[in-house]
Amino acid sequence: MSDTTAGPAELVFTRVFEAPRELVFQCMTQPEHLTHFWGPAGTSAPVGHITVDARPGGPFETVMINDADGSRYPTRAVFDEVVEPERLVWTESHSGMTVTVTFTDLGARTGVEIRQVRVPDAFRSPEAQAGFLTSLDRFARYLAALTARAGGPGTEPPR
Amino acid sequence: MAVAQDQLDATFTALADPTRRAIVARLAQGDATVNELAAPFDLTLPGISKHLKVLERCGLISRTRRAQFRPCHLEAGALDPAAAWIDDHRRIWAERFDKLDAHLHEIQRAPDDGPGPASAAGPAPANERIRQ
Repeated sequence: MSDTTAGPAELVFTRVFEAPRELVFQCMTQPEHLTHFWGPAGTSAPVGHITVDARPGGPFETVMINDADGSRYPTRAVFDEVVEPERLVWTESHSGMTVTVTFTDLGARTGVEIRQVRVPDAFRSPEAQAGFLTSLDRFARYLAALTARAGGPGTEPPR
Repeated sequence: MAVAQDQLDATFTALADPTRRAIVARLAQGDATVNELAAPFDLTLPGISKHLKVLERCGLISRTRRAQFRPCHLEAGALDPAAAWIDDHRRIWAERFDKLDAHLHEIQRAPDDGPGPASAAGPAPANERIRQ
C-alpha cells in the first residue's frame, strides 16, 4: 500500500487511505487529528503543543515527545501554500526542508503523496532547484545500490 | 538524526552534479587516476580536478600520495549519512501513515460498531477532543 522512492535530497512517499479526501485533509491540518498520528512510533505529539494556521504564512508547529525518556523534538514550519483539500506545502524553519502534501480524490479513498525536499542554500533559486531535483531523480536508485554495496570490505564493482 | 547538517548539505550538493555522480560511479568500481576519470568526459584535466576537489572536500573521495598518479579512492562510508537521512525520514512518514490509517478507521467507524465517538450527526467528528 505504501511506496517510497528516494533521491539523495528528495523523498517521495505515497499511501492510499480508506477515507474521503476532505477528511484526510482535515486530519493533516487539525491538531485534534494530528495528535493521533504526527509522532512516529515511540513518540507522542500532545494536542496542546500543536499549532496550525493553515494559510500561506501561517505557522505549523509541533512537539514530538519520546515516550521512553521524555526528550522533546519541537519542529516549526510555515505554510507556503494551502489549497483545501488538494495540497499543502510547508517549509521547516530549522532545516530549510520543504514538504509538499498532495491529496488525490479516489472516490471513497484518498491518495496522499508526501514530497519532502532538502534544499541546500546553493539551490534555493527556482532554476537551480529544478535542475537539482531532475538530476537527483536520476541518481536515486544508484545511491541506494551503491550504499548497499559499499559497506562490505572488498568493494566489488557494481554491475 | 545526529548527522551534521552542513555535512549532509555538502554531500547532497556534491552529488547534485551529473559529472560528479559519474565520477563517484566510476570510483565505485575501483580506484582511478585523474586521467582515467577524465577520459569519458569532454573535460580538461583542470575541469576534472575542480570536481575532484569538491568531492574531496566533503570527504567522498580521497587521493593517495603515492606516485605522481595519485589515484582517487571512493570513501564509500561518506555516503552513509546521506543514506541514513533518507531512511530516517522514510521511516517517520511510514510510522505516521500507519497511525493515520488507524485513526481514520477509528473515526469512521459506524455507530453500531462499538462505543465510538461517531454520532448521528455524521461519520467523521472532526473535533473529537483528545486528552493530552
